[in-house]
Amino acid sequence: MGKLPSTLLRRPSLAGSCLPTAPSSFSHAPLPSHQPPQCLSSQVRHATFVPRSRRPYQFTQLVQLSDGSTFTMRTTSPLALYKSDKDSRNHVLWQPTNKSLRNVEVDEAGKLAAFRERYGTSWDLDTPAAAKPEEAKQGAAAAAAAAPSGKDGEKEVKAEKGESKKPEAKAAAPAPAEAAAPEDPFDSLVDLISAYATDSKSMQGGLSAKDQAKKDKSGKKK
Amino acid sequence: MSAPGRGSALLRSSQRVCTQCARPAPRPRTTPARPHSSLLLPLSARRFYSAEATAATATTLSTPPPPPATPTTSESNTNTAPDAAGYRIKSSLILTRPPLLTRDQTPFESAFYLYQKRFNERLTAPFRRGFYFKPDTAADLDFRIKLRERHGVPAKDIGRYNPRGRLAWNDEVLVGSTTSSPSEVVDKLLADAELRVSEDGEPIAAEERVPVERPMPRRTEADEKGDVRRLDRALDRTLYLVVRRGEGEGAVWEFPTGLVPTEETLHETARRVLTEAAGPNMNTWIVGRVPVAHHVVKPVLAEDGASVVQRGEKVFFLKGRIMAGQADLSGNKYGLTDFKWLTREELQEVLPEKYYHSVRGMMELR
Repeated sequence: MGKLPSTLLRRPSLAGSCLPTAPSSFSHAPLPSHQPPQCLSSQVRHATFVPRSRRPYQFTQLVQLSDGSTFTMRTTSPLALYKSDKDSRNHVLWQPTNKSLRNVEVDEAGKLAAFRERYGTSWDLDTPAAAKPEEAKQGAAAAAAAAPSGKDGEKEVKAEKGESKKPEAKAAAPAPAEAAAPEDPFDSLVDLISAYATDSKSMQGGLSAKDQAKKDKSGKKK
Repeated sequence: MSAPGRGSALLRSSQRVCTQCARPAPRPRTTPARPHSSLLLPLSARRFYSAEATAATATTLSTPPPPPATPTTSESNTNTAPDAAGYRIKSSLILTRPPLLTRDQTPFESAFYLYQKRFNERLTAPFRRGFYFKPDTAADLDFRIKLRERHGVPAKDIGRYNPRGRLAWNDEVLVGSTTSSPSEVVDKLLADAELRVSEDGEPIAAEERVPVERPMPRRTEADEKGDVRRLDRALDRTLYLVVRRGEGEGAVWEFPTGLVPTEETLHETARRVLTEAAGPNMNTWIVGRVPVAHHVVKPVLAEDGASVVQRGEKVFFLKGRIMAGQADLSGNKYGLTDFKWLTREELQEVLPEKYYHSVRGMMELR
């Protein structure tokens, strides 16, 4: 930025050498209005040199986006052609329907899938609440099968049969589970989030490349 | 088929009908037969934009009704016999494909840009080669070769112009010169992009240079063949879908149009008609629920002036955009035989004159 020349400006009438401009003279005798200016001969420079801000040299560049469309722009780069390899034309954020842009896990040897099968994923730790009652029922059925001769077991089996015959009782059964769920707001919130995440396919563990190819083919046939 | 608008979430929560779609109460007609009909105006206390201005003055000023002869609208003067029942309401969709390329520069524009570039040469700092290229690298040698061929001008697209020389004032493009044309600029940039020096710093012979792949031309194959049914034609223009109704002599080109049933609104009808006429294989979006144009066909009356031979039509046009897909007229219910994607000038040749005049206002004017 050039320095503004305001501090350098002088009014010729106030230049000290030209006029008797002492403030005391004002108080004693005001100047007659018809007094001719006395300092016409001495010139004053009002304009000062304001240097232009230095801008770098700019070239015209041809930009080619990843889909082949081109445009020119001004840039400091001396390259004549810029080919973009990642831009809005091949990014999944702008092209959500393009399947080839999806993040597909390459797992040809199946190692990642094997790891998940053995150790599970971190998402299994907080499974959604909907999956738990089924496990409990299975556990109860297993216990009933393990103790077939016991009277209590028979009673339980009978009780289960009785329940299965009455649809009202069945419908009533999940209600307490739902009622119990919102006791702890943090738990329910975590369930909500984890359930959302486990619903999506990407969290279930990737398909191997072969399976993915098969799936794509079958999808195309439809 | 079409994406929901911005206010769709709000509408879903309350009612399915928006305020624009809700039909106003039938406005009272000021006919000469009923001179004191404007006394009934408090019924329409809420005045719609479409309501008559005379009605508004009557309600706001609450003056006694003017004499019946003076303030009648031209509509009620011209067609006295047909009332609202004499017209059929139709809804039509003007499906558009937006331009995919920026338009060509006018000669003035390209000359102006060249002038600005040369002017900028005089104002900016000179190009410092050492700042961008390490001395005696392959890139430096490459740039030096090209710079020598441009007679020392670092810019690639301004021709032979020295901003600090004796002829720096001579910066305007001459008549007949192609220096400023955009295609020429692109050619020069592409020629500059090809490598002249190998990685070892050896200059490559002219016959061994690998030319840079040219970008796709602005005119497509469909343009060259004159295929008006394809969507990849006239890439820098807006295209409009028109269909042909009927065959032979009586065939008429128009936008896909259908009657509005009582329980449907205009945009619903337009969407349904488009699907029924041009098939579901299109990803479209109806821009708004307000019609962008309308066209009125007067009813044909018999000799006595009382009986209607042919009912009139009021066609309301809505605007739509096509994102993907193509029209397919097979199995349509409207007797459509052909379709075209046309620019505005081509529409003028194909559509009936009055019809085109009605819809002309919604089109791009360039």
